[in-house]
Amino acid sequence: MAASVPARAEILSLFRSLLRTSKNFSDYNIREYAKRRTIDGFHQNKNLSDPSSISSAFSEGKSQLEVAKRQSIVYSLYAPKSKSVMEMPSL
Amino acid sequence: MALRAAILGHLRVPVQTLTQNGRALQSWNLLNLNRSMSSHDDHLDKQEVIDRVVSVVKSFPKVDPAKVTPEVHFQNDLGLDSLDTVEIVMALEEEFKLEIPDKEADKIDSCKLAVEYIANHPMSS
Repeated sequence: MAASVPARAEILSLFRSLLRTSKNFSDYNIREYAKRRTIDGFHQNKNLSDPSSISSAFSEGKSQLEVAKRQSIVYSLYAPKSKSVMEMPSL
Repeated sequence: MALRAAILGHLRVPVQTLTQNGRALQSWNLLNLNRSMSSHDDHLDKQEVIDRVVSVVKSFPKVDPAKVTPEVHFQNDLGLDSLDTVEIVMALEEEFKLEIPDKEADKIDSCKLAVEYIANHPMSS
């Protein structure tokens, strides 16, 4: 049974949730990677037209969101003790 | 005797300055607290909101800074897609320390609407 095609608003909401979750990572590199990966992934798939590939991409995004939420909590327990040099304001 | 008085005088000085400092610090904190609580009343200046929104939009990598005006429409005028619009709205949230709910964020599709929303938001800073 194929899942129904997600609505445009649902996709944008998933995109927004992924971006919000990626902000929660305490490590600069992971935070930037999660953001970059989210943006690249959605732009890569924006021309999909086949309903089954759209819904499979959508469900993959949802499972990645769960992973990101969980990992941001796990990584917060092992947060880096110092900031990355990229986060220093005046360099 | 003179020596004793001098020593006592000398000893008292740091104690006095300490308490004075403590008091000064306390009242300073109180002043600050009052100011931060009253900051809800004096709202962000509309022109300041416009300037900051425009500069956020200009700094978006896919945007040609020369095309950005306070009235510009993201998709019609700047050639952005809905994903880019979401990114810009997220950047605006960060700039003004807001969290815009999805329903509202979906409606913001131009600089004009963004300025309107942010200027009317009580928590924007």
